[in-house]
Amino acid sequence: MKFAKKTDMLIIASIVLFCVVFWLVYRGVYAKPGKYAEIYHNSQQVKKVELQSGSEYVFSVPQSPEVVFRVYSDGSIAFLSSDCPDKVCIRAGRLSRAGQYAACLPNRLYIKIVSGDGDPGEADIIIG
Amino acid sequence: MYIKRLTILCLVFALLVSVGCGKEKKRRYQAQFLTLFDTVTTIVGYSESEEEFTRLAELIRGELERYHELYDIYNDYEGVNNIKTINDSAGKAPVEVDEAVISLLTFAKEQYRATGGKVNVAMGSVLSVWHDYREAGIEDPENAELPPPKLLRQAAEHIDINDMIIDTGASTVYLNDPLMRLDVGAVAKGYAVRRLAEYLNNMGVDSLLISVGGNVAAIGGKPAGGYDKITDWNIGVQNPDKESPRSELMTLAVSDRSVVSSGIYERYYTVGGKYYHHIIDPATLMPSTNFTAVTVICPDSGAADALSTAIFNMSLEEGRGIIESVPDTEALWILNDGTIEYSDGFKTPVSVRDGN
Repeated sequence: MKFAKKTDMLIIASIVLFCVVFWLVYRGVYAKPGKYAEIYHNSQQVKKVELQSGSEYVFSVPQSPEVVFRVYSDGSIAFLSSDCPDKVCIRAGRLSRAGQYAACLPNRLYIKIVSGDGDPGEADIIIG
Repeated sequence: MYIKRLTILCLVFALLVSVGCGKEKKRRYQAQFLTLFDTVTTIVGYSESEEEFTRLAELIRGELERYHELYDIYNDYEGVNNIKTINDSAGKAPVEVDEAVISLLTFAKEQYRATGGKVNVAMGSVLSVWHDYREAGIEDPENAELPPPKLLRQAAEHIDINDMIIDTGASTVYLNDPLMRLDVGAVAKGYAVRRLAEYLNNMGVDSLLISVGGNVAAIGGKPAGGYDKITDWNIGVQNPDKESPRSELMTLAVSDRSVVSSGIYERYYTVGGKYYHHIIDPATLMPSTNFTAVTVICPDSGAADALSTAIFNMSLEEGRGIIESVPDTEALWILNDGTIEYSDGFKTPVSVRDGN
């Protein structure tokens, strides 16, 4: 007797196919690839923007309307202007890589870059 | 027969699925606090639940807040004698302070001796002159000025660290010069992180990453992918050249180490087109111009913080001498032209990958 019948092979093949399709769907739905900038005010996340190449715009958040953020077409984000005295936030420059962050302490605002896919080799924190 | 085989097949499939889900996966969590030490505090950890991580983060915030109050030079807190209280009583009376203040200042005095005076917590009078001119220059860049050398020299007559008298038995500190002021900015964050790391170690925390304004302590390593396999934490070192497309110079992979950078990154002002940053060399009373940034890696976050300021204020050769003399300690220097110099044993405790 043969080990596997034609129907068995068919079942195995369909299970494998099911797995692959399910895995792809799962990845598509749950694991969001790409980069995001999360904006926090007083440690509460108030906005999350996708950093994708091509789009360029400015925005603020209602909690601190005097502070303007800018998203650049190269997939980076920066504090564009702020009413704070030291301007450390603006000097932090453009952020684009997961692990980078910048803050405007007087306005209690914080940007951090996160990546959807969570590559274990990426920086846990960036200092300097 | 056919049914039996199909059953086995199904069982094997079910087994595979259940094995895949059998282990509780730890997830990565991150918390930030913006109210401590006038900088950003970040905690990164792997935990089985958000509640568990939040509890730990709140505990850490409470501990750091205590140090934030004790080591503050600008603000008073009700019922707390801190560094400002000591400054306010300069030349008048000894101030009774918490053991955490006594040990910080004792540590700072040791670091002063170990670095030939290149880190001096007693030079608050000089730093406050620079602080005032910098704030005014940022506020009104058109009229930004450098502090007059005479004013700096006058302030520098009151920076003798031997006038800081620590009485460990009575738990008091006295400044034996009415015009002396302590400024613990170069050591306090690192020392607070060191004490926090000791506290967490005693609690049994074996994996956590803490950064108080770039004073990083890596406790243990991180569970890669959320399972039991432990790998190093990755610490990115930012390029001081903000114009460069390469935002990070490298990634340091570390476990059970502290990493601290000192650099010209953000706290500076410009006078006549020239940059003047906030790290002041006690010898020249001017911002040191040898490097754009330095990074120190060693097991003790307090030493890493003090040494990074010290070697920033030294020549490369002097700095190498200091770093080689301290066990388990490595450093890198970023020169003004972007060249990176490493201490001899740099590769031993950490692995370095190129950034992009």
